Amino acid sequence: MPAEGSPAGAPGDGTPAAGTPARATLVDRVRTNRRVKTLVASAIPVTWVVVLLLVPYALLLIQSFWRLRNGTLTHELTTENYRRLFGTSLYPATILYSAGVALRVTVFSLLLAFPVAYVLAFKVRKHKTLLYMAVIIPLWVSYVVRAYAWKIILGQQGILNGLLMSMGIIRTPLTVLLYSTAAVVLALTHIYTPFTLMPIYAVLDAIPPALKEASQDLYANRWRTFIHVILPLSLPGVVAGCTFAFVLSMGDFLAPQLLGGNDSALMVSNLVWSLFGVAYNWPLGAAVSVVMLALTLVLLWVAGRVEARGSYGGEARASVTDYAAPV
Amino acid sequence: MTPIVELRGLTKRFGAFTALDGISLAVAAGEFLTVLGASGSGKTTTLRLIAGFDLATEGRILIEGADVAALPPFKRPVNTVFQQYALFPHMSVRDNVGYGLRMQRVPHREIGPRVTEALEMVQLGPFAERAPRQLSGGQQQRVALARAIVNRPRVLLLDEPLGALDLKLRRAMQLELKDLQSKLGITFIYVTHDQEEALTMSDRVALMRGGRIEQLGAPRDLYDRPRSRYVADFIGETNLLPAVANDRDPGMVTVAGPAGPIPVRVEVRADGVRAGIPLWLSVRPESLSVVAAAAPAASGDGAGNSLPATVREIVYAGSVVKLHLALADGTTIVALRSPSDPPFASGASVQLRWPASQGVLVAD
Repeated sequence: MPAEGSPAGAPGDGTPAAGTPARATLVDRVRTNRRVKTLVASAIPVTWVVVLLLVPYALLLIQSFWRLRNGTLTHELTTENYRRLFGTSLYPATILYSAGVALRVTVFSLLLAFPVAYVLAFKVRKHKTLLYMAVIIPLWVSYVVRAYAWKIILGQQGILNGLLMSMGIIRTPLTVLLYSTAAVVLALTHIYTPFTLMPIYAVLDAIPPALKEASQDLYANRWRTFIHVILPLSLPGVVAGCTFAFVLSMGDFLAPQLLGGNDSALMVSNLVWSLFGVAYNWPLGAAVSVVMLALTLVLLWVAGRVEARGSYGGEARASVTDYAAPV
Repeated sequence: MTPIVELRGLTKRFGAFTALDGISLAVAAGEFLTVLGASGSGKTTTLRLIAGFDLATEGRILIEGADVAALPPFKRPVNTVFQQYALFPHMSVRDNVGYGLRMQRVPHREIGPRVTEALEMVQLGPFAERAPRQLSGGQQQRVALARAIVNRPRVLLLDEPLGALDLKLRRAMQLELKDLQSKLGITFIYVTHDQEEALTMSDRVALMRGGRIEQLGAPRDLYDRPRSRYVADFIGETNLLPAVANDRDPGMVTVAGPAGPIPVRVEVRADGVRAGIPLWLSVRPESLSVVAAAAPAASGDGAGNSLPATVREIVYAGSVVKLHLALADGTTIVALRSPSDPPFASGASVQLRWPASQGVLVAD
């Protein structure tokens, strides 16, 4: 592309007059052109998202419409997988069951995380960061290790049975502890509570202390201050935290696999895993995945809307992805 | 008449730091009292103790004769206007203003009209359904004010309420606040670090220094009869001339001159002034007149003082001309002149003159 003529100097005159700016190099043009700059800067993240997220999702979507003929994958397009998914009770029931587990995990995580976040944000003066780190540090330990830890605690030869037996409360080890839905809920609650706590702490910590004082100055006691000021202002964080706990535990694979026993087959991720890895029915597995993905997106959208309503008037103050925004 | 708010020996310590050191103060009903001070002087602490956000280490707080020391903020008959307004971001302007009434369980049909009335009083009627963040700083300030006065408190505490506003808006709001205060008859306890604001608005000013009240009085008292060098320096602008007391004549001090000490007559002496300690003569810039060195002594003013000085700088400031001068010992002096007065050249030798009644002798 030919460069535009320099602003000064006669057209066609090969030698520019003294004081005329030198012809811009390509680098200069990139540096000064806002659009080009934006394009260059966003190239890497855009490539990243397209190659590692959008392409796999697109492949998944395409595969979910492929036909499996006599155990062989063909590229014929069909809606058979979706018809089978919604036609039998197994798949909707599994999704519902997973949602039930996720809901319980969410409720327990919220009940644990909110009081801790509240105390950290408002009551702790010294060593605040240290205590916050103590809550977050479990996230540094591998997920697998934490899931296994529950196996060690709840197992037949486990710590809990040993403790109960040595205290004389039981004589023979309890077998109901491990390999149950309860064990899965317990482990998932342990694993995902920090994810719930972080956004809640972030919003609580951003509430100016003067707001609490203003409420008390206007005749509200602590409880009413909590109900009318603190709780409404913390809602964006609560919604974000609950969304994390729900979405992450609904799609969890390892904890049900390790701790769920026979119940584990009823979690949707384990079902997908067996469809891909055991039954070799990739199209059906892909279809289940697509449905899950759609459900998750709907959930995130709803959560975003709920959060937007948390702030009075105008645009949303915080969202799932922007929970640390100052009040 | 019993004071509406009374502080007795109020002390607040944060660990080893004494923020408030046994202050006593009585505020009359309907009074506009300003607590003035530099940052860290204890003025905000005083307000927070009265409101109940912090608890006093020692001393008593009486509101309408009743000791409120043990009461939490929501049981005290005072309301606060906060420095950063502290409006509830998740509520409309109307809901913000009605908050205190709702929390007091005022009947619903009464809340609406009272909120409307309060909003109209601060000229925010059309903004009732807005969110606080959709308002300008000045408007938010008015909402904070309406939110407090709607409760009809006997005492309103204001913590630097105009601190975040620009100068012009601030001046307008000062007059509006003063007007509102006299209209409502509410006692105002007003905290500020701005001495001009304190002089403009208050019935009385308590100037704080290091957790104590340095001087309490009407604005004029503080300006004309400062009790110490600190007060003279803090309130308004002044010239402080190092002075030495005269043992024989208490009405005379000496100030350094080019050829030895020059005697100067003083009519106003602050408490604690005595020979043997460092003293200063405080003369306001507007009290000084500047005349050419060769000019004859002013006639008919026997109590007039005169000091030689050199013009250093002439600053034109619109309505006045500020003259920066130096005394023989190097002390810088500021004098105000009218732009229509005959000008002096920089470096000119002049005489500073002022009547003895306009100089105040103060100790540190």
